[in-house]
Amino acid sequence: MSSAIHLELNNVSKRFGGNQAVDHVSFSVTKPELIGLIGPNGAGKTTLTNLMSGMLKPSSGTIYLNGRRIDGLAPYDVTRAGLGRTFQITRALSRMTVMENMMVPGLALHPGMQQAELEERAHEILDLLTIDHLTYEYSRALSGGQRKLLELGRLLMLDPAVVILDEPFAGVHPRLQETIYGYIHRVHDDGTAIILISHDMGAVFELSERLIVLNYGALIADGAPQQVKNDPAVIDAYLGHDEDD
Amino acid sequence: MAVFNRFETAIDAGIGRRRLGYLLLGLVLLFFLWFPNDASQSNYAKTVFISGFFYAIMASSWALLAGIAGQFSFGHMAFMGIGAYVAGLIARDGFIIAGLGIQITPESISAIGAIIVGTVVAGLVGLVIGWLLLRLRAAYLALFTIAFAELFRIAMLTEYDYTGGSNGLSLRPLIEVAEVDTARQIEYYLMFALLIVCLLLMYRVVNSPIGMFLRAMREDEDAASALGVNVVRYKILVFVFTSMIVGLAGAIFYSDVGSERIIPEQLEVLQMSLIIAYAVIGGMESLIGAAAGAFISRYMLEAMREVVITLPFGLTMADGSDAFTWETGAWRFALFGLVMVFTLRYMRNGLLYPIINWFSGRDLVMKKTVSKRHDWDDDPAQLEGRDE
Repeated sequence: MSSAIHLELNNVSKRFGGNQAVDHVSFSVTKPELIGLIGPNGAGKTTLTNLMSGMLKPSSGTIYLNGRRIDGLAPYDVTRAGLGRTFQITRALSRMTVMENMMVPGLALHPGMQQAELEERAHEILDLLTIDHLTYEYSRALSGGQRKLLELGRLLMLDPAVVILDEPFAGVHPRLQETIYGYIHRVHDDGTAIILISHDMGAVFELSERLIVLNYGALIADGAPQQVKNDPAVIDAYLGHDEDD
Repeated sequence: MAVFNRFETAIDAGIGRRRLGYLLLGLVLLFFLWFPNDASQSNYAKTVFISGFFYAIMASSWALLAGIAGQFSFGHMAFMGIGAYVAGLIARDGFIIAGLGIQITPESISAIGAIIVGTVVAGLVGLVIGWLLLRLRAAYLALFTIAFAELFRIAMLTEYDYTGGSNGLSLRPLIEVAEVDTARQIEYYLMFALLIVCLLLMYRVVNSPIGMFLRAMREDEDAASALGVNVVRYKILVFVFTSMIVGLAGAIFYSDVGSERIIPEQLEVLQMSLIIAYAVIGGMESLIGAAAGAFISRYMLEAMREVVITLPFGLTMADGSDAFTWETGAWRFALFGLVMVFTLRYMRNGLLYPIINWFSGRDLVMKKTVSKRHDWDDDPAQLEGRDE
């Protein structure tokens, strides 16, 4: 996949009226790391994802991907710059077949490629994700878990440098979870940086090489999982603190 | 059912459904080519067919805009009107663009030239409206386009010094007087050719990557954008493209091909509702379905103007006649409404969809791919979240 990765967030903030959803967040990704992005509900994880993927424009701060400023770009332009994402609630293109779902990003990102070549690639990815038997099925007929796999498959058609996986394990069958684990390892081994957002702490700690923790929109910890696990600010954010302390 | 299954198996094993579909389509085309040559057909029948071709263009292009691209617009008839009115006004009054030194006099422009200008202006207005609609979705988009269509209709009605108001505007006849064919054959073939060309153009778009992007946009604009689709570009493109098609169709139809003048009444929301109804009944996600739905509906509405009912069992009316004529002028629209209600409730893809789908042989492709199954497919937990 991509050889050069440089995602950099500088003092990124997002305010919705009186609510500071993301508060001066800065971090950078300079190698194909597997990063867990965690935080309690309402910490600003999804807002930060939307800011990175161009769905929202930051109130202040800048975001660069491989030297190109991407904050303020339209989502399709961010995708073309090399950042792909999935959604917390899967967004399969319901009245299109699984193959068509795969071909949309393929054709959008690689207009010069032969359709047959793209189809062959889509078949390989669907095979990897064990949903090749559903290739010509409408995606509305897929189960929730199969739709998650389809979303992951579409990402591979984009050939991204950085992917953001928003709650990939939410509500999926344990055996399907194994398939997603395999997918994450494969994408990571191919040299893609992964930002994994999940409430499944077991999975996050097992997979991540680095953890970024948000609370009330602010970045409160960034480091190795074991180090973050013992960080008092993180423990405080998840477990709360005694009023007398 | 068993008979149908045997028939289906025989077709699949023999000629194949797609080939059979193309064969039937060829026969339909041959029928339309032969029809005006049948001496027994009246000019009225041919006029009904010409009108049917026009509405088939309107409905199929709306199907592309709303059914395939998901832009539920009520402005389609207004764009048609822009094409027709601009062509009429240009041919009558000419125009000057002082800054560019362009001066077109009525004498220097032909009917074809006026039609081209009308088409281009419809496309330019489509560009502006498409841009204004970028952030509007669903009901807001529909309401905006209703307001735009009404604004245009009222302007045409009010500016009677230029547009003729409610009397309408005559366009320069496309077919010169000397060439007028009393059997209306030229007009018939012209409108039929226009329908075929428009369908082929739209078919090409729908079956290209652009068509796939338009459908992705219809399904979920945010998801399509996250997949690299430039939603803004394709939204504007589909507005401009369909506006030009209906602008061209309007300019040609009202250039004394199908009708001798364009009147503001044609631009009412009710007329737009009919276009939507034709597309829905035929199948708004299929160009052929919508076109066929429009043609058949127009024909049926004409055929049902009055119905002669012969009384059975030797019964007679008070005046001694054994038949009576039921004036169904208003009732036919009520019946049409019932068909629409039935379609929306029971066959949301349109009445013609099952036929088109069968000829496409899609289920055969699917049968080939369902052989491989994973055991968790049958897990009830995995079935949660499936749509109906």
